[in-house]
Amino acid sequence: MPLKRFLLRYFPPGIILEYYDEQGLLGTKTVDLLDLSESTDVEAVADQIIHEVSDLITQSKKSQLVRLLRKLIEKQEMGNADASFYLFKRLKAHILPLTNCAFNKAGDRFITGSYDRTCKVWETQSGRELLTLEGHKNVVYCLAFNNPYGDKIITGSFDKTCKVWNSYTGELYHTLRGHTAEIVCLSFNPQSTIIATGAMDNTARLWDVETGMELCALIGHTGEVVSLSFNTTGDRIVTGSFDFTCKIWNVETGQCLQSLEEHHAEISCALFNFTGNLVASSSIDRSCKLWDVDTGRCVHTLKGHNDEILHCSFNMTGSLLATASSDSTIRVYNVYNGECVAVLVGHEGDVSKLQFNPQGTRLISASTDRTCRVWSIEPAACLQILEGHTDEIFSCAFNYEGDVIITASKDNTCRIWKSAHCTSLPNTE
Amino acid sequence: MGLLNILRMFRKADRQVRILFLGLDNAGKTTALQSLADEQIDNITPTQGFNVKTVRHANYQLHVWDIGGQRTIRPYWRNYFGNTDALVYVIDAADERRLEESGLELNSLLEEEKLAGLPMLVFANKQDLAGAQTPDAIATSLHLNAIRDRPWHIQPCSAKTGEGLQEGMEWLVRQVH
Repeated sequence: MPLKRFLLRYFPPGIILEYYDEQGLLGTKTVDLLDLSESTDVEAVADQIIHEVSDLITQSKKSQLVRLLRKLIEKQEMGNADASFYLFKRLKAHILPLTNCAFNKAGDRFITGSYDRTCKVWETQSGRELLTLEGHKNVVYCLAFNNPYGDKIITGSFDKTCKVWNSYTGELYHTLRGHTAEIVCLSFNPQSTIIATGAMDNTARLWDVETGMELCALIGHTGEVVSLSFNTTGDRIVTGSFDFTCKIWNVETGQCLQSLEEHHAEISCALFNFTGNLVASSSIDRSCKLWDVDTGRCVHTLKGHNDEILHCSFNMTGSLLATASSDSTIRVYNVYNGECVAVLVGHEGDVSKLQFNPQGTRLISASTDRTCRVWSIEPAACLQILEGHTDEIFSCAFNYEGDVIITASKDNTCRIWKSAHCTSLPNTE
Repeated sequence: MGLLNILRMFRKADRQVRILFLGLDNAGKTTALQSLADEQIDNITPTQGFNVKTVRHANYQLHVWDIGGQRTIRPYWRNYFGNTDALVYVIDAADERRLEESGLELNSLLEEEKLAGLPMLVFANKQDLAGAQTPDAIATSLHLNAIRDRPWHIQPCSAKTGEGLQEGMEWLVRQVH
């Protein structure tokens, strides 16, 4: 079959091969290269890829492949750059506290939600407000871009509805009605065809992006659904609930496939790893668990925190899991053996949100101590304290390149922090 | 606290009471809350959003929401109406000029469907100041005696000295219990 071209996926590293099949239709094959690093033998990996997909590429492509692998490694290594962040913009974003914030994939725009019932769209480079999405009748609690496309935004509100917007014009496409209590978590599936919402009414619901119609209700939890996540292929979704359990569902049928029931208190976060074979759950019971998706069995219980775990996050490749706790520390675990590889100490209050940079070398954390901190995993150390907010920080996010950070605070402001070596935003000053 | 704990405080639970502090700006809501939580009360600035604290009272956990009272953000008080067991309305008893405005806001709260029937405690705050009106005088000018659809009580207090706050909460918890 003739190869059309190679595409690179920087994070997690991978190469996508576009080809024409026997019927002349365009197909793609993805080669995941999750272990790629500076010490990788590039020639050997290139040979292995050629061997694995010999129906698509031949030895003649090797030099091109080697070049692409080097480019991917270079992108990963940028995560080790000794870069510090400086306050780039302080935005008087809303008239009431912010809730969550999120970047689009390009990182040129981001969104903030607020107790003032609006969601705002911002231009990262200028700090300019591009749009105000008005219409919710209560707090806009959760929000998301349909990345990687970025042409739509969804907002979930305490008014029990979710709204679907055009991210460029602000046009309202749909108001998703059906939940009987506050919507507190949501997500697009990776294909951007389905929206999942979780609510305080103990249900999660799936909706069609195009029509705005409800596809099915995921019913079974006996407590509030506060966290949800699709797997990478989009055929499974995991929900985390205040009923102490997580459930894995078939997205197509709405059938519950596994109920993960070993926690002794409310679940704070439930996630798939990149490969989709594991689910991580964090709980108020001070532990985090890793579960085998197929069997529903707990494979590791990650202990060590002395207080509630409020959030957890995988790195992009899924080799590390970080947990944020009310004990004011962050722990990082090796996903394969369950060992704690780093304890990050320094915050002076609850740590409520975490995110890895795309390369998996840095972590950012949001805390009630009004700071966001930048950590290195190896060695375990605080690299920087982003200070300035005058009230607790509810949310923080890296852009896709890992060189811009946004923080959303209860102090009604949003701050943009830019790396000194930032390449994704041209310098304006 | 984090956003997750805000969601946890939404839930109705045994031995937990969800209480909403409302009232005009400068009525002393935040000072009352901090005083109840045994925290420092100097350097309190106008609340541009909300404060929430969990305070112990006898065998109860009180989740107290103190909501900013400036005119521009009063329309957002409704954000908090869905998940509350009791209402505390704080009045600056020493500010006679704004008593009427305070009464108007109170009346519109009493008409809110989502707050219907909820017990209401009125704090006649700032009794430590000279010229503070008595609870009886305030009850009369706000026509509190005409309220028939809910239990209510007016309690003189000083958020600054802490006097009267516990008595007020005691009454409130008894109503919810």
